[in-house]
Amino acid sequence: MVTLLLRSLRPHRSLPLRLPLVVDVPFRAGSHGPRLLYPGHIPTTSLQKMLLAAGSAGMALYNPYRHDMVAVLGETTGYCTLKFLRDQMKKDPEGAQILQERPRISLSTLDLSKLRSLPEGSLGREYLRFLDVNRVSPDTRAPTRFVDDEELAYVIQRYREVHDMLHTLLGMPTNMLGEIVVKWFEAVQTALPMCILGALFGPIRLRAQNLQVLFSELIPWAIQNGRRAPCVLNLYYERRWEQSLTALRDELGISPPPKHIQGLA
Amino acid sequence: MAAPRSCGLWRYCCRGWSRAAGDCRLPGFHRSWPGATPSARLLSQEKRAAETHFGFETVSEEEKGGKVYQVFESVARKYDVMNDMMSLGIHRAWKDLLIRKMHPLPGTQLLDVAGGTGDIAFRFLSYVQAQHQRKQRRQLRTQQNLSWEEIAKKYQNEEDPLGGSLVTVCDINREMLKVGKQKALDQGHTAGLAWVLGDAEELPFDDNQFDVYTIAFGIRNVTHIDRALQEAHRVLKPGGRFLCLEFSQVNDPLISRLYDLYSFQVIPVIGEVIAGDWKSYQYLVESIRKFPNQEEFKEMIEDAGFQKVTFENLTTGIVAIHSGFKL
Repeated sequence: MVTLLLRSLRPHRSLPLRLPLVVDVPFRAGSHGPRLLYPGHIPTTSLQKMLLAAGSAGMALYNPYRHDMVAVLGETTGYCTLKFLRDQMKKDPEGAQILQERPRISLSTLDLSKLRSLPEGSLGREYLRFLDVNRVSPDTRAPTRFVDDEELAYVIQRYREVHDMLHTLLGMPTNMLGEIVVKWFEAVQTALPMCILGALFGPIRLRAQNLQVLFSELIPWAIQNGRRAPCVLNLYYERRWEQSLTALRDELGISPPPKHIQGLA
Repeated sequence: MAAPRSCGLWRYCCRGWSRAAGDCRLPGFHRSWPGATPSARLLSQEKRAAETHFGFETVSEEEKGGKVYQVFESVARKYDVMNDMMSLGIHRAWKDLLIRKMHPLPGTQLLDVAGGTGDIAFRFLSYVQAQHQRKQRRQLRTQQNLSWEEIAKKYQNEEDPLGGSLVTVCDINREMLKVGKQKALDQGHTAGLAWVLGDAEELPFDDNQFDVYTIAFGIRNVTHIDRALQEAHRVLKPGGRFLCLEFSQVNDPLISRLYDLYSFQVIPVIGEVIAGDWKSYQYLVESIRKFPNQEEFKEMIEDAGFQKVTFENLTTGIVAIHSGFKL
């Protein structure tokens, strides 16, 4: 911590701060200019990333409705894991295609009428039902800002957009309990520090009766499926809308969700 | 400090290039367009001259107003919380010191510009109310042999606990005024307040109207600071006082470095975590760096026509209170 502080102080000595026209404070994270790697990118120093990670973790626990804080936590802590995930995606043929074509799931790219016309039980129809029932939209995902690599920024964006797909695959609602179950699944699958932290600390906000079900049934089920299934980021969901959900679950080795979750929280 | 010419250049920037078109004082401009005819040169000077700073970005002057408006629109609801977090509560002491320096007496007409959420206005009202009560008590003490009935009647007759004082809060941003009005209701300030939507560069008031003009942490966001100062001079009564509380330059090198470190590393993070808004707080710390230092701002105030201009550094220069009189 001290070395970080010293490192940030050292370059400052060489630059006077009071030049009239050209002002360049060395450790200002430039939010505009040639250092932007992608639109929306905010370059940050390691000290800022650490503070952001700590602050966002605290705020997310304090106010679980701050989804943007969970996103920031993921971006600031996930650099190494994202690299590993990206390399994994490159090795898989479907994953490599995703990296190349960079599909995005948003209301502008989805053809809602076509999805609605798909047969019941298909991935597309069930996904749409999930969005309607839980009253969520794929557009509420905040764009990536703090990842300092353009490809990794896409990987984490893809992870966020796939999160809703996972809810559909696992059959989990978007309440606190359902989110924690999905986090456990994601933690086993991706090993992102944010997922692990969310999985471990999320239950703090749950009521006792939910905790009981969580630990006895849901978490073991999530871990089992997480280990069995191949990396979910490698699925090109946009090409699988017509595929039946049960068939997809069989392909991935995901067993049906425990029935208890429906009546809880 | 910087050489005289660069000092002039710096002042140039701060005045928003408003004199660039007509003012041929700087030889540099003549040299950069050697072949241009005078009228063309004037045009190109004017076009280039309509640029100013928005934090460390360069934007056109028309844009700056809009961008600043957006910043304050988005931070309005969390403005007070963020002030507490960023300054660790010290901003309250700064504002208290401003009112103490003002030492308003009952009957003062105050104009608080860029006073959106009402911090200065409410402190003014409390101060003036306390002063009025003290005056009343002093008056009663000097009158000897009053019966209880007469004393009770004196207190009952009191219609205006503020003694005729009025504070007009003027802000260009509707959201900030909304937050201020709500705060007034919450804190129980009902009398002596007027809320006006207005631009500091073009105040919607007549000449010679107010006893005191304050602007706290607002003037660095104004596109043309000189125009705001001229407007301040216009609306003040002769004998009126101009007070400005604003971030300024820290002279001590060690504290300056720590302050920069805190400003650029920590404040945007706090903005992101608490208000979900990194960019607005990045703008805030950058705009502090772009504002002229104590001496230069003092000269700008003198240029607007104020006399007896002084400044007082608070917290080793992080903040300064500038004061001037219209005589």
